[in-house]
Amino acid sequence: MADGQDSDGAAPVRRIIHVDMDAFYASVEQRDDPALRGKPVAVGGGSMRGVVAAASYEARAFGVRSAMASVTAKRRCPDLLFVKPRFDVYKAVSAQIRDVFAEYTELIEPLSLDEAYLDVTDTVGAHGSATAIAQAIRAAIRERTGLTASAGVSYNKFIAKIASDQNKPDGICVIPPKRGPDFVATLPVSRFHGIGPVTAAKMARLGIETGADLRARPLAWLQAEFGKSAGYYHGAARGQDDRPVRPNRAHKSVGAERTFETDLIDLPDLLAKLDIAIDAAWTRVERAGLRGRTVTLKVKFADFRQITRARSFAAPVASRAEFAGAGAALLSALMPLPLGVRLIGLTLSGFEGADVPAGGQLGLAL
Amino acid sequence: MKATIERATLLKCLSHVQSVVERRNTIPILSNVLIEASADGALKLMATDLDLQVVDTAAATVDTPGATTVSAHTLFDIARKLPEGSQVQITAADGKMLIVAGRARFNLSTLPRDDFPVIAEGELPTKFELPCATLKQIIDKTRFAISTEETRYYLNGIFLHVAEADGTPVLKAAATDGHRLARVTVPRPEGAEGMPDVIVPRKCVAELRKLLDEVDGTIEVSLSPTKIRFDLGTAILTSKLIDGTFPDYSRVIPTGNDKLLKLDPKSFMQGVDRVATIASEKTRAVKMALERDRITLSVTSPENGTAAEEVPGAYTSTEFEIGFNARYLMDILGQIEGDSVEVHLADAAAPTLIRENDTAPALYVLMPMRV
Repeated sequence: MADGQDSDGAAPVRRIIHVDMDAFYASVEQRDDPALRGKPVAVGGGSMRGVVAAASYEARAFGVRSAMASVTAKRRCPDLLFVKPRFDVYKAVSAQIRDVFAEYTELIEPLSLDEAYLDVTDTVGAHGSATAIAQAIRAAIRERTGLTASAGVSYNKFIAKIASDQNKPDGICVIPPKRGPDFVATLPVSRFHGIGPVTAAKMARLGIETGADLRARPLAWLQAEFGKSAGYYHGAARGQDDRPVRPNRAHKSVGAERTFETDLIDLPDLLAKLDIAIDAAWTRVERAGLRGRTVTLKVKFADFRQITRARSFAAPVASRAEFAGAGAALLSALMPLPLGVRLIGLTLSGFEGADVPAGGQLGLAL
Repeated sequence: MKATIERATLLKCLSHVQSVVERRNTIPILSNVLIEASADGALKLMATDLDLQVVDTAAATVDTPGATTVSAHTLFDIARKLPEGSQVQITAADGKMLIVAGRARFNLSTLPRDDFPVIAEGELPTKFELPCATLKQIIDKTRFAISTEETRYYLNGIFLHVAEADGTPVLKAAATDGHRLARVTVPRPEGAEGMPDVIVPRKCVAELRKLLDEVDGTIEVSLSPTKIRFDLGTAILTSKLIDGTFPDYSRVIPTGNDKLLKLDPKSFMQGVDRVATIASEKTRAVKMALERDRITLSVTSPENGTAAEEVPGAYTSTEFEIGFNARYLMDILGQIEGDSVEVHLADAAAPTLIRENDTAPALYVLMPMRV
């Protein structure tokens, strides 16, 4: 029996690698500015309303986490150094690491700029083992970018992702199929992808702390307590996950949004802010060379309630002026607003060749 | 558990429930059908995919009441291959289920019935009855427009809501995939007042439609904002509803389309089908040139050549050309029962309204293609 093949001819055991850059944005900043090395660094806006996009390991020691309000982060770590994000640099590095992945497999599913799933089932033969590939990728990334990455190697996406986090930073963790169920059993359920703080708290209340606790519950019981997610939990608790690695997920939409220092309610103020978001959004649209027909306005109110309003056109939006005009019209239609607005954004979607079949089927303005 | 049932009855019952079971399941028990024999001589079969469950009941001779679960597709295949007219004896004990019919014996693995997930219906406060024919009409005239695109999951079903139309209470059913919209309006059944807006998932619609072919009379519908239940007599289908907001579709139904084309739906559909034959792309676009009482359908394919056909029609407005996806056009025309169809047009890029006439319960909106 060939390695990794089931004797009954069923699907072979897959070899999945999850590669995750270590404290990506913060590491790039530390690499490029020696003054930041060894210091607690947060990438993100340092203003009242800013949010930490990434924190260096030095900052994490103080309890600074990504997505944390900048104010909170500063309280936890008074010496925290805030650095403005440089997304064009991160994008360039991201392209470098994707080039590395592409040398080992075509089945690459990027999750964000700094992490991706790789299916190396079919290419493993040429390189020895999935573990060898993961190590070669980590070495190549270090050599070409000066940054470290961690990797998880396993037989499905669910376990590979958990594994990449296991020996972070600059680590690797290999979970073969035999060890999968035991590995999952020992984990706290909060480490499971898809179990957030709320679900974890509910599970804790029901006496489920670890994968083993979760596994002990029958499907019918999970179904009664958690509904639709029961199937996923049931599989996850057994280390099962059949989701394929999906390469080349096409752009569905491109846009930009801006959060304001203070809530805004008047149309002229909002239009001015929308214009800034439009600049960023249109730059991305042009860079990607996309032609889309649907313009969507996103408005988040002071109470975090969020609405979107969209308009589709018969022909693709051809210029910044058309894009901006559509955005302004959508925004004006919302006036007067019931509440202050904290965030505004505009996106373009309905790209040609994407959801529009060949020949130019027009869409209903739903 | 020990029961005996006629092979034909068992097969019919299984055919009602087995298609709910997905072919590929990561959770073993979801491949199984729950079989329950009760002392009053009923054999109940139940299948589920966690979102949809179908229960069917048939008469059987029950010696020992009990319940177990076995692979639905295996049992269905066995029942299909058993000799016609045979009596099937089912016995479950010690984790196995023994099936004996004539000289054939099967000993199947089972899973405990307590592990079988049952959808908790909860309160279903809205209850009304719909004639079987009405429910069929609602489904047939809308289901082709249901979206299969998972990203817009809230379009993956038929939207049901109550409203007032010209002062009369109505029940409306709508489906759209973003390219076309189908809507059926029927009088509001008693009990549906105050009903929450619901989206019935595609799979539920498909299973329900199959079951409707075998029943007459009225169907009892009960629902809450999250679940719906159709009681068809012996079979009961319970489904979760799509948790999402169906877009306000009324704003895409054009009201000011001033160019009216009237034609015979059958010859129109046949003409579209004929010229579309030579289209080489997956999406077959048909061009319609409208002149005074002269409609020309045409298709140009870079590889195959060209096709054109004149279809009889009444048209008196401005001359212009418009393109449509042949499949979409035929889907709609196939649902027009009378010998005349109204096509209300505005321009080559605007939503087009299609209906039999202004009193017909069904209405369709179709977006053109650029050709």
